[in-house]
Amino acid sequence: MKILAEQLLQDLIEQSRSHLNYVIALQDLHEDELNERVHHDSWSTLECIEHLNLYGYYYLPEIEKRMQASNAQAIKQFNSGWLGNYFAESMLPKEQLNKMKTFKSMNPIHSALSKDVLTTFIDQQQKMLQLLSAAQSKNLESIRIPISINKWIKIKLGDTFRFVIYHNERHMQQAQRVLKQTAKAYV
Amino acid sequence: MKSTAVAELFIQHHLFEKTVILERNQYLKVGGSIDTHIYFIETGSLKIYLLDEAEERIIRFGYKNNLIVSIDSFLSNKPSELYIQAIKKTEVRVTTKKTFTEFINSSIDNLKLWSGILEDLVLQQIEREKDLLINSPKERYERVLKRSPQLFQEIPNKHIANYLRMSAETLSRLKNS
Repeated sequence: MKILAEQLLQDLIEQSRSHLNYVIALQDLHEDELNERVHHDSWSTLECIEHLNLYGYYYLPEIEKRMQASNAQAIKQFNSGWLGNYFAESMLPKEQLNKMKTFKSMNPIHSALSKDVLTTFIDQQQKMLQLLSAAQSKNLESIRIPISINKWIKIKLGDTFRFVIYHNERHMQQAQRVLKQTAKAYV
Repeated sequence: MKSTAVAELFIQHHLFEKTVILERNQYLKVGGSIDTHIYFIETGSLKIYLLDEAEERIIRFGYKNNLIVSIDSFLSNKPSELYIQAIKKTEVRVTTKKTFTEFINSSIDNLKLWSGILEDLVLQQIEREKDLLINSPKERYERVLKRSPQLFQEIPNKHIANYLRMSAETLSRLKNS
């Protein structure tokens, strides 16, 4: 994938703003409603969000560290790496739902969760937005980030942002479906 | 020209393209984005701020009948570090820079209107610059109270205190003295 670096970052900032706003609105719902699940072995809304937090705990400090350590000049055009592009694209939710396996360490199922999960996600998105903003003067290609499951595999910063934010998008949509399917009259 | 009159003109010429509703605390704009829209607040209130070492520094407020623009992005088409966040549930009408520019360039009167708006903006900015440079909290408070009494009806104290660069306690003491 080829795209102007500025355009890519603007798109990702806009997506992150929408994720942030969605979770801010979830704060007005009742905690019980956010803990409802459709099946015994499927995630509640809070578990969807917590799953994203688990990724954020790894990627946000990692991205920040590698960005700070680099003085490479920003590039005009961003070219995806083949592996980074594959990871990022595979996260995008398809119209026909493509289920994916979750790594055990990233699976929050049946952990007792409170609305603090939402606060954590909001803090993480604010951090993400600061990183995206700072990335406008960084090199999205030469800065490379080790992926969470195998530290020996590194993907370009631009692909890492895409991967994390597309993954957020996937589970934002899942959270919306869970809420819709479990909707009851909470007053 | 008052912002309500400008908005009237926008409505008359069908410049508003959509309406956006924000719940309390939701963001209309975040730092790093290029935002060249013009927003007119129908209901609710917003704060415009930047982050300085993770601290919010409020630059401006918007409430009912105000026009709100991320003026740096609007003029430069470049990213702006400003955040625009709803203080309470807020409804804004939106127009784009393109629509607005076409409207402005369509007649001499409209161009005059635009230069009037810009002059007004420069005057507001100079008043704000004075606010920021004045040492006495009391004087800062009194200047803003005189200039925008309605602000104190619309916006919670803690945000006004931030805007005035003083603690909420200092502000409430000044208000009661």
